[in-house]
Amino acid sequence: MLIDLTRCIGCDACTLACKQENGTPYDTFFARVLNVEAGTYPDVKRVYIPVLCNHCDDAPCLKSCPNKAIVRRPDGIVLVDQDRCRGTGACVSACPYGNIILHREEEGWYLDENEAYEKDFVKLRMKENVARKCTYCAHRVDQGLQPACVVACPTTARIFGDLEDPESDVSTYIEEQKEQTGRSPFHLLPEAETKPAGCYLGTMAEQRPSTLGQSDGIGDAKQEEAQRTQRGQK
Amino acid sequence: MATRHKVPGRAPTVAPNEKARVVRTTDSPNCTGACGWLATVVDDVIVDLKPAADYPCQEYNPRGCLRGMSMTHIIYGPDRVHKPLIRAGERGENKWREVGWDEVLDYIADHMKRISKDHGPESMLLFNQVVGTGYVQKGAQVRAAALLGMSFATAYDFNGDISMGFTQTVGIDCVECETRSWAHCKTAILWSSNIFQTRIPDAKFLTTHAKQRNNCQIISIDPRASQTAKGADLWLPVNPGTDGALALSMCQVVLKEGHVDWAFLQKFSDVCTLIRQDTGERLRASDVGEGTEAEFMVWDEGKDALYKLPMDSLKLPEDAKFAFRGQRTVQLSDGAKVSVTPVFELLENEILRDEYAPEHVAKTCDIPADTIRQVAIRYATERPSSIIIGMGVNHRLHGDLTIRAILLLASLVGAHGKPGESVSIYSGQHHFRLDVSPWWFPDGKRPNGVPMHYFVLGQPTGTMNPKIKFPKDGFKALFVSHANPLVTEFSAPMKDAIDRLDLFVVTDFSMTPTCEYADVVLPAPTFWEKLDLVGTSCHPYLQIQQEVVKPQYESRTEMWVQKELLKRIDPELAKQMDYTEEDAIEIMLKGGGKEVEGITLEMLQKGPVRLNVHDPECGLDEQLHEDKLFPPRAYPFPEGAQREFLKTGRMEFYKEEEIYQKMGETVPTYHWAFEHLPVSAQEMPLAIVTPHSKWRVHSTHCNNPFLRNLNRKPVVEINPKDAAMRGIKDGEAVEVFNEFGSYELWALVTEAIKPGVVCVDHGWWDRYLGAGKYHSVHTYQKVKPTHEVYYLPAVYAPGQHWKDTRVDIRRVK
Repeated sequence: MLIDLTRCIGCDACTLACKQENGTPYDTFFARVLNVEAGTYPDVKRVYIPVLCNHCDDAPCLKSCPNKAIVRRPDGIVLVDQDRCRGTGACVSACPYGNIILHREEEGWYLDENEAYEKDFVKLRMKENVARKCTYCAHRVDQGLQPACVVACPTTARIFGDLEDPESDVSTYIEEQKEQTGRSPFHLLPEAETKPAGCYLGTMAEQRPSTLGQSDGIGDAKQEEAQRTQRGQK
Repeated sequence: MATRHKVPGRAPTVAPNEKARVVRTTDSPNCTGACGWLATVVDDVIVDLKPAADYPCQEYNPRGCLRGMSMTHIIYGPDRVHKPLIRAGERGENKWREVGWDEVLDYIADHMKRISKDHGPESMLLFNQVVGTGYVQKGAQVRAAALLGMSFATAYDFNGDISMGFTQTVGIDCVECETRSWAHCKTAILWSSNIFQTRIPDAKFLTTHAKQRNNCQIISIDPRASQTAKGADLWLPVNPGTDGALALSMCQVVLKEGHVDWAFLQKFSDVCTLIRQDTGERLRASDVGEGTEAEFMVWDEGKDALYKLPMDSLKLPEDAKFAFRGQRTVQLSDGAKVSVTPVFELLENEILRDEYAPEHVAKTCDIPADTIRQVAIRYATERPSSIIIGMGVNHRLHGDLTIRAILLLASLVGAHGKPGESVSIYSGQHHFRLDVSPWWFPDGKRPNGVPMHYFVLGQPTGTMNPKIKFPKDGFKALFVSHANPLVTEFSAPMKDAIDRLDLFVVTDFSMTPTCEYADVVLPAPTFWEKLDLVGTSCHPYLQIQQEVVKPQYESRTEMWVQKELLKRIDPELAKQMDYTEEDAIEIMLKGGGKEVEGITLEMLQKGPVRLNVHDPECGLDEQLHEDKLFPPRAYPFPEGAQREFLKTGRMEFYKEEEIYQKMGETVPTYHWAFEHLPVSAQEMPLAIVTPHSKWRVHSTHCNNPFLRNLNRKPVVEINPKDAAMRGIKDGEAVEVFNEFGSYELWALVTEAIKPGVVCVDHGWWDRYLGAGKYHSVHTYQKVKPTHEVYYLPAVYAPGQHWKDTRVDIRRVK
């Protein structure tokens, strides 16, 4: 999955779409958006970074599990098998991204215990006290659908597909952006060397926010053109 | 939730649940989004929501946001009202008797009959939010009120979302381009508008489309680096309440630098009309024996003579060359001579005042003079240019003046009515996209319109418009529907007003703080449990809202309730309510005007249908492209109803009425936002801004457990400087206070807000605060006399000034 950070507006539609789709309990978020404020008034920046399981090629969680409960499907999706998981928490410690969740206490829910929505349709899919994480909505992918967070993103900041297939949406987008904006995808925490499947496109030169008083505050078209060309050449 | 299997499972999921059915509907909780959704329903339970993404114009797909995605947790949420309730204790004591529908309807009907007999039907007031979100069901309430002769207070003006600056200038309370039009912008000024939170499905048109197409520069004018600042190229942290000075300074820059579009002004505005020095009013054709009082004269420089502006079209002769400047003497038909001056010269005299020079305004607004110049010039030259105005500008006593100045800026450079060129204010799902009159007003009978302000004040102001019929004994009954006025700033005086009533009925699906204060609570279905017709100004699609699941618990649709009530009050009148929702939709489609010509219920049942409007809709399209006189028609009022307050039929930058002259507001000018407050209030050190939160739609979703999981506590954003001065640390409990009251919440110390300003997002229910009443901290309640000269409900009516409040803050010991 590729997330274009220039498109993300930090709205959390993905966060809630994931919860609606996967019926996760209280305080469990497979998809999150980090809201970062940086700088000192008035030179302040806001950044939103959506995070979720990176479905790493070299997944430390998979290697760490003493019960072999974590598997990688042929399509690359990494899953925690709820039936095999004994809740040791080894994977939680192993994941450098903090994207695996394990609650040891009793699960918290949202609605009255008699409400059919949770009682009959949500809770029965969840086994207590086991590790959980994003599945890239494997059950949807199997039906030829896109993950819930992808279809719900109102800015289409999330692009999903097979990175190894040059014709896929995600490969096409990466190629297109390389040509048009000179941007190449990057991973979070590359030093962890887990070969994540989740990657990001960063800010474009002309989208760097600035505040009053800075000489480059307002668009000098030529200067931007030059910056873009320069970046493209790099 | 396409599976009932454990997620994740190792094996691929089997085929979807055969019992599941998928329904296409529209959510319309007054966020203005009106987004299409697909709901998956199993055993009459909504088990999944996904954006419908079926708009014929692909760019609109997908629409939706976190709030729509969480609707299940309102529908099945903990605060649903299950049964009709009648108060069993004192008001607000929250002691109830659960009753059946027959009992509650008899109870209300008996009271209504008595009140109507003793005090007249106009002493019963309907206040429902927000009528544009559902033309059928909320329309049924208005229809019943009209039949009974009750009073009706439109919510839009009491909310303060009515934009009187627009009404005064273009004759209609707001102008909105369809959001797809933003994609054409090269310069976009977000004037206190936080579209990343308030227009979530539409923000992409600026941040992605306009960026890609035009490398659009987004300029955010806001005392806080709101979420939208993330996508902005320039953030101008303006001093709160000084936006009017900034706008006039920008006008001065474009005027001095020669970026004026004279042809635009001559044709579409009043700036060439002549103002009589003796009366301060416009020179009319009747003054000089050339025609009627409803026709206006300009000076044609080509012919060196007076010329009468056409009043059937905006079209002018090709050789028209009207005077913009110069005092002239003209002879009136009675022989007297008067001196007249074109409006433009009066505007110019105002704009060119030293007070509005960028160097001077830099101090007022705390924005460098160079930046003001750069932004003004960029706006004038890097086209297409748009301005989106937010409520931080409008929710002020002098917000009308600021908006008039912004509209003047746009008109000086002619930035209206093209793709990517407009001044828009998305002030709520208020604008009707079709004429709802045939359904709402049986045989043309309308309820007695009264602004809610006078209900809260308890009496008319001395300047109240004489057209308004205030009930002789005051108000005796109030029917609030889908509104939460006890979670708005004037909740304390509102409570006093309610205490004077014999009957207070609230209809809602959640047990809100307003419900808790009621005599009777009627359980309503959510927007997912009833059939309705929905339009919005964000996009040009008409949609229906479906009964995805049947009304939950013992809730009943507004349509059903009104029918049953009328049967009990007057069986003869009840016959006029004997329609189904489908009938109501068909009635509106049939008589709804040219926008819906050819649109049928059958088409709507298949999906969204584009209205017959310009493509893309840029705002003011009929005027700017078809030469039709201003104003655009405000449904549901008849053609011509707005003419009295826009007499020239052009954009008016000069208001001639006596009260405008008396208050010095004939032309856009700048008044400091807080100048109308007593000195003690002015001296409170902090301005408070109360923006929309992404976690709520006003106060709806405040109690949504899904969203509360992420948005746990109310916070007040405060700059580290202001916090340090008061010994406040991040996360600490603090008290916000002023002379009216106080409440406790938690401090969020952040660099993203200007010193001297604090921010609390609006709509919190009191129960989530540390202590106190959120809306006990407010400002002086008043009505601006210029807003009372005319009255057309929700079009020309008093606005609000919530944001003129000043406060201080201290640590809770």
